[in-house]
Amino acid sequence: MAGAWRAAGHAAPRIAYGASSALARQADAGAPAELFLSADLDWIDWLAQRRRLSGPPVRLLANDLVLVAPAASQAQVRIAPGVDLVRALAGGRLAVADPRAVPAGRYARAALESLGAWKAVEPHLAPAADVRGALALVARGEAPLGIVYRTDALAEPRVRVVAAFPESSHPPIVYGMALLSGSGADARAFAAYAASPPARTLWARHGFRFP
Amino acid sequence: MLSGEELGIVVLSLEVALASVAASLPFAIGVAWLLARRDFPGKTALDALVHLPLVLPPVVVGYLLLVVLGRGGVLGPALASMGIVFAFRWTGAALAAAVMSFPLVVRAVRLSMEAIDPRIEAAGRTLGARPWRVFATLTLPLAWPGIVTGALLGFARSLGEFGATITFVASIPGETETLPLAIYAYTQVPGAEGHALRLSILSVILSLAALAVSEWLVRRRPGAARHA
Repeated sequence: MAGAWRAAGHAAPRIAYGASSALARQADAGAPAELFLSADLDWIDWLAQRRRLSGPPVRLLANDLVLVAPAASQAQVRIAPGVDLVRALAGGRLAVADPRAVPAGRYARAALESLGAWKAVEPHLAPAADVRGALALVARGEAPLGIVYRTDALAEPRVRVVAAFPESSHPPIVYGMALLSGSGADARAFAAYAASPPARTLWARHGFRFP
Repeated sequence: MLSGEELGIVVLSLEVALASVAASLPFAIGVAWLLARRDFPGKTALDALVHLPLVLPPVVVGYLLLVVLGRGGVLGPALASMGIVFAFRWTGAALAAAVMSFPLVVRAVRLSMEAIDPRIEAAGRTLGARPWRVFATLTLPLAWPGIVTGALLGFARSLGEFGATITFVASIPGETETLPLAIYAYTQVPGAEGHALRLSILSVILSLAALAVSEWLVRRRPGAARHA
């Protein structure tokens, strides 16, 4: 997105990547940030309560949760209530972002719970530090199956999407965007661009949906 | 006082750290002796290789372990056919800790070996002792403080290992989730700071206990006890 913005003749934005919690705390502590894009709406609300926003937050993007396997795997799993993931794992482990700590892991847990599969599969998890860590475990063939965001699965050629979790099986995965207090004209223009039709084409190419 | 879960985490962490030290110490003593007492082609390269885990980001070490020893790794399948599997096992956590702490152990042992007057070992040889006997009865006892210090450093480093472990074997409760991994998970959960704090206090206690044990071991070095 930043590349497309620069190609359109604007100054490149300076991007700080990090966990939503860490970035929100930094912004609150006075880090010179103008725009906040977060996969966790709770942290945007947290900043709003602290009066750190200069405009209403926008629900920018949506993502899905998918079951992935290594690209060469023959695994077939139909995701439905009571799905037997333990059998599909065949003695291996299910790579997930840590369900206690990481949002992707919490969504995975919610989805598995709503399908009645959590209790059985919980002892067979391989909880990674983040969703990309879980993706890497599947890509390297350490884990026969993993649960990641659709956008992660599309970004990694060494994995294959086996099935998608129904949207209703977990809380909506929505990415919010908000201008922070003290943001300038450039930040407002970039925010408008990120929500514009050309930008949407780009987001969609990477697997995002729109809420 | 301790919940069953906390006790499990502590026991696992101690097992991982002890296994790490037990596995790395003999190799570390051997490498330290080579570096302190021998000259051979490739010595600089060996020295650099030994120090690599100290200067690389732990995540890189964990990733390299995955690439080499994972199920789909370079050596992983061959080892698996011999029944040796590290992936997602506590043994993998111990291996990651051993690799990360190896340079610290080697450095401590090597320093104390270099501090031994070579004439003492030479005297042993002129009195007819075979090299192995010189090593076992002179070098090793005289290097004892360094060996204990190295073991303690290795133990402490293993107890604190995070990056290589979580990258190589994930954070599986009861299998690879050691103290730092559990503390990290708790700090990410809103309202679980209390758990994180309890576990942090536990790791302070464990570290102090290890320090006390090593002090005690250094004082009653073999030889010192014999001559007393």
